[in-house]
Amino acid sequence: MAPRSRKSGPSPSPAPPTSDTDAAPPLSPKDDSSVAHRSSIDALLVPVAGEEREEVKVNNASVADMKHACDDALKRFLSRPDLFKQIHTHTDVRLALGWLSVLIAGGTGLYGWRVPFEQSKPAVWAGVILYVILTITQTLYAYFIEGDTVFVGRRKTFDKRIVTERITITAKTTPSTPSSPPGYALGLAYVRSASGGKTLLGKGRASEERKFTEFFDERGVLDQERFERWVGQVVGRVMDGKAE
Amino acid sequence: MIWKGLGLITNTESPIVVVLSGSMEPAFYRGDLLFLTNPSNQRYQTGDITVYKVPGADIPIVHRVLETHDLVSDKRGVVAAAPLAQQQLLLTKGDNNHIDDIELYQGLEWLERKHIVGKVRGFLPYVGYVTIAMNDFPQLKYALLGGLGLLALIQRE
Repeated sequence: MAPRSRKSGPSPSPAPPTSDTDAAPPLSPKDDSSVAHRSSIDALLVPVAGEEREEVKVNNASVADMKHACDDALKRFLSRPDLFKQIHTHTDVRLALGWLSVLIAGGTGLYGWRVPFEQSKPAVWAGVILYVILTITQTLYAYFIEGDTVFVGRRKTFDKRIVTERITITAKTTPSTPSSPPGYALGLAYVRSASGGKTLLGKGRASEERKFTEFFDERGVLDQERFERWVGQVVGRVMDGKAE
Repeated sequence: MIWKGLGLITNTESPIVVVLSGSMEPAFYRGDLLFLTNPSNQRYQTGDITVYKVPGADIPIVHRVLETHDLVSDKRGVVAAAPLAQQQLLLTKGDNNHIDDIELYQGLEWLERKHIVGKVRGFLPYVGYVTIAMNDFPQLKYALLGGLGLLALIQRE
């Protein structure tokens, strides 16, 4: 299936509803705060219309490139000031392990170069073993703990109490078959809690898959507004559901 | 780090070397890659092909062992009952040379185990020309390093 061609220029997006004049129908007795909260979130979860963006162009024959482009667009979209603040723990751990292993490799190499072989053996053994351990740790961390996670974000809002929301997003690609193009599967896990994580206010899970052909045109340009609209829709759905 | 680990496992500072001269023809030609190990408790036999470095010379030489003798040391008034590997004295000669290596030893009469880099276990023909080319044309070396650096930068993890 060839990717659909898009007309040039951004497609018009609906104007975001203002949160003061909430036109949503009155809901049955739930927390007033969750109603206001929901509409203000809906306002934020829509891509900003007419914003000047850099064109994102990737090789649309490479599923890995397309996935990375979508991941980056997702991170940019959700990291906006009023939305989530990205938690960089996974990145920090991988960077720390990587830098440590590089420094150890460099140090061992330098030492082995300066000191004659027989003398240097114990220290070089230590360096090599440390390096192997660090590399194995890095690989295991990336495979087991980080897994498919693309984005981990936190959001603190203040109604009558401090509400903390935490969202974890995983993204996988589904391979193409003779009858369907490759797809991008988003998985979301959402937790809302208060008073420092002790009171659980709401939880939600969602997952949705779309084919890459919906977002990339035949040149490989990513339609960011369309993608962000979809992401906003899925995130809104997981944040709404199952509020206590 | 793989190189360093390999050096530790084979107990030699340079587990892979390139033949530069023709003194071991027809066994090894210039440009062959040699794989070395240096087991510390094995004795070297006549006929083994060794790579050694004479103190005072930069480049290691790859020649065949012609004679082995044992340095019988008389420490503490006792002599070792069985010949020890680390106390060997070696004389080498290149297959394609007419005379043995005494002239190359820079004053030594015998090579000791500590001068030996390793024993040849296997070889690959012609592959060493890449290293010879990079040494003769340093621009190639820098081009390769630059290329690798570029690849590391533009790749994603």
